[in-house]
Order: sequence, then structure tokens, then C-alpha cells
Amino acid sequence: MAAVLEPYIYEGGIHKHSLILELLEDLGGYLVQKTPASTEVTLVMLIPKKDIHLVEDLCKKLLGKLTPAPLTGTEVAVVSPTLASHHLPHSACDVAEYLRRGGANTNMIGLARGMGRRVALSADYERKLINEHDVAVFSFGTFKDCIINKKPKLFEGIEIPIVVTGGPDIRTEEISGADIYVGGIGRVAHRMRKGSELDAMDVLNEKVGEIVNLKRENIAKDPLAVLPARLMKEVQEQVPDILNVLTPAPITLQLDGMRVKLPYDRYHEAVGNIVFDEGFLLSDVANILPSKMKDYILVKIKRRSEVANI
Amino acid sequence: MEPLEIFTVETTEPSEAAAYESILKDIISELAFSRTIGRIKVRIRPEDSLFMMVILLRRGLPPIKAGEISDTEFDREHAKVFITVRDEKTIPQFLDRLWEQFGRQNVMQPERNIIEVASDLETVDKFIAELIVDDPEKTIRERLADMAIRATPEGFRIRYHSLDSGKFVFVASEDTMQQDWIDEANVMLKELEGDDS
Repeated sequence: MAAVLEPYIYEGGIHKHSLILELLEDLGGYLVQKTPASTEVTLVMLIPKKDIHLVEDLCKKLLGKLTPAPLTGTEVAVVSPTLASHHLPHSACDVAEYLRRGGANTNMIGLARGMGRRVALSADYERKLINEHDVAVFSFGTFKDCIINKKPKLFEGIEIPIVVTGGPDIRTEEISGADIYVGGIGRVAHRMRKGSELDAMDVLNEKVGEIVNLKRENIAKDPLAVLPARLMKEVQEQVPDILNVLTPAPITLQLDGMRVKLPYDRYHEAVGNIVFDEGFLLSDVANILPSKMKDYILVKIKRRSEVANI
Repeated sequence: MEPLEIFTVETTEPSEAAAYESILKDIISELAFSRTIGRIKVRIRPEDSLFMMVILLRRGLPPIKAGEISDTEFDREHAKVFITVRDEKTIPQFLDRLWEQFGRQNVMQPERNIIEVASDLETVDKFIAELIVDDPEKTIRERLADMAIRATPEGFRIRYHSLDSGKFVFVASEDTMQQDWIDEANVMLKELEGDDS
């Protein structure tokens, strides 16, 4: 039986951090993302549950900090009505930053024509791009009337769970199409760092975590044919060109797949031909699709029930 | 009039006014406007897609004339004029005006507060006598427009504005502009002026 993996973030000095990576490999865990920044490093990891204390001890020895990161392995779309200064960098970027602290990979999506009330709309391309993610967080403004009556038309065609943030206190049921509403994160023109604002962001992370857990439970009922974290390791070993990709997350994990940041035309066959120890190919157990984001590859892993003969 | 002596935000849902007031305060402080604005009143009716803002500006600063902030000396032998600028803050604008008029190659800055102009002495003298180095009123007008656009909810792109002797009226909506709204904003302005009008 596969080990239960727990997501954690390590923040500490870059000195000797490779010891953690070695230990992680020995334990059978996975490194999801490594972000070096000058003398510091941030490691997002999946650690086997029964061995967490070993990693914790080592982290303590290296004077780093190990914190649980429940959103690890998810790709969240933070959608703002446009990319204008009314929404960015505050509060939409603050929301995205906070979600990243929870371990999520976030993409900021500014709609082309999402502003206003009567005139707000989303394009087919934008809806498809949002649907490639695990969760969509819509960052709205200050007015209850807009959030309840006008903005929900931006949710049309979105098939993934929708989290809405805004200023006023509203019950989720009042916003048609929203799965969860989090108040206290409306339009602001300053960086969100007041106590009440940070509290609201904590609530947001918690709520997104709940949605992610629900989705995980749903997947657990009919598990994926292969674990995304394991697939990630195979991609790194069998498609070595991925190691030359300079984006912060060349492989972005999702709950039911991943985004491989290599050109689809040149690499989709190589990705499809990845061989697993059990003998099957990736193309047998996953759909390999062109992503709407640039020319990347989107891998959506099939469920066990769909590939029963393998 | 004291800076920001009246600061009112009215919204249909009273609880939302505080949030919008905070946005406006951030924008005002970002654009360094707090000492320029005397009174401000904003009324927002999201259900009508309507944003109205009236501002009474405090009496602005007078234009800065070159003669008031600098001394000129003539070097007739080398056909040069030396300008000693006493107000350091205005040097960049001063240089800009001189470059515009005499070309970059003829205007040098050998020291921080000394500008050297090589040109016909009389022309330079006449130019400097009439030169307005900086007009704070003009920059305020430009920044005021910037502030109004930043403060408006996004998408409200049909706008009306007027600025008349320090009285600024701004109305924005995403629907066709209505005369009633402009009239209402003018009433707001009258209210804001109160006894001063």
C-alpha cells in the first residue's frame, strides 16, 4: 500500500538544505517545488506521514522552519475582473500571495472585460483557462449589490469550485454559483497587513483548504491511476528537458494531473511515452492535452475505474 | 479652510461607506493630496452604476517665477549667463524650461545650483524675466484627474468633470450620462460649500 503523504513547506537557509532533499528521497517523499532566494530557500514537499518527525528533527538542526501546507499540489486561479490598478496589486495579488503560503501554486488571471456591472463578461477562452485549475478564487470589490446581482455572470461556464472574496459580509447562498464566500477582502488601495485583513485571509486559506479536501476525498473514492507527485518525478527523469525550464514551477501539480511547462507540439509525445515500472505508458492512463496557458502541456490523469485493465 | 476638514462618503448600504473611505484615503495620500483638498464629498449608488465626487480645493500655491528664486550674472566676454538658483526643488523644472528654449548643448549645470546658458545675453535676460518655472496649480489639475479615475469603480467609464476656481465636480457611470446626476452633484457642491459660498 502506498504511504500516506503529508504536505509541508520548509523555509530556511540554503546552507546544507540538500541534506533535507537527500533524506526526503530516502524516505520516499517528493519535492514539489524549490525556490531559492539569495541565501534562503523554500521547499514545498510531500513527506510520508510516519516519517515526518525525521524531517522535523533535521529541519530543527538546520535552524529552518517546517510548517504544514495544506494547499500543496493544487493550482489555484486568482481571477480579478481586469488587470487594472483597481484590483491589482491589492487585493488580488495579496490573496494570491497568501494562498501560495499555504502551498498552492497560483495563477493571476485578469479578465479582458470583467469590469463594471452591466458590461461585465468573460470570454470562452478565459473560461477554458480557468477550468484548467483546481479552484478559482474570484476577487471582487466593496459593493454587496454588485457581488450579489451583477458579478455572478462571470461564473457562467466555470466547472471548478468557485471561491468569492469581497468586502461586505454576505452569506454564500446569496451569491448564485459561488461555493464559498469570504468577506473582508474587498477592494483596497494598500497592502493588506492589518490584523483584520490578515484574519480574513486566514479564513480564505482555510475555506480553500476545505474545498481542496472535499475534492481530495472525492478523488480518493475512485483514485487516480497514478499519483501526480510520482508522475512529476517520472517526468523529471524521463523528459530531462524540463530541468532547463526556467519558470518557478516547471511542473505544476494539480489534484488530478499537472501542467508541464514545455511546448505541446514538441514534447507531448515524449510526455505520453513516459514508462512506469508497472509497464504501462502515461498515455494509457492520462489525457495529454494542449493547455490554454501559453503552449504548455496539460496532463489529466484518469481514474482507476477508467483504466481497470492496467 | 483646513486640509480635509470635511470628508464624507455616502453609499446606499451605509456599512460600505467606510470601506470606500479607506480606498479614497489611500489614493489621496498616495498622490500627496491631503493638504490640497479642503473638503470632499463622495456619493455612490451601485444600483444606478453611479459615482459622484465633489471637491473644494484649498487656495493653491502661486506660480513660481524665475526672478523670485534665482539671481543672474552676465559674463559678457564669453557670452554666457550664470543663473544661481536659490530654491533647489525647482532646479529640474528650471533646466527643463531652459533646455526647451535654448537646446541642451547651450545649457550646462557646472554646479548643483548654478546653471550656465550660452546664448545671446539679452534674449536670455528677457526670457528669464518672464519665465514661470513651475505652476503648482497645473500639476494639481493633472493629478486631480488621475485621482478621480483611480477613485471611480472600474468600468464606470462615462465621465463628466468640471473644475472651476478650485471647485471640482466629477460624475462617472457605465451608462449614458444624465443631466439629473450632474445637477445632483452640483447640489452636493453647494452643500459642501455651506456658508462659504
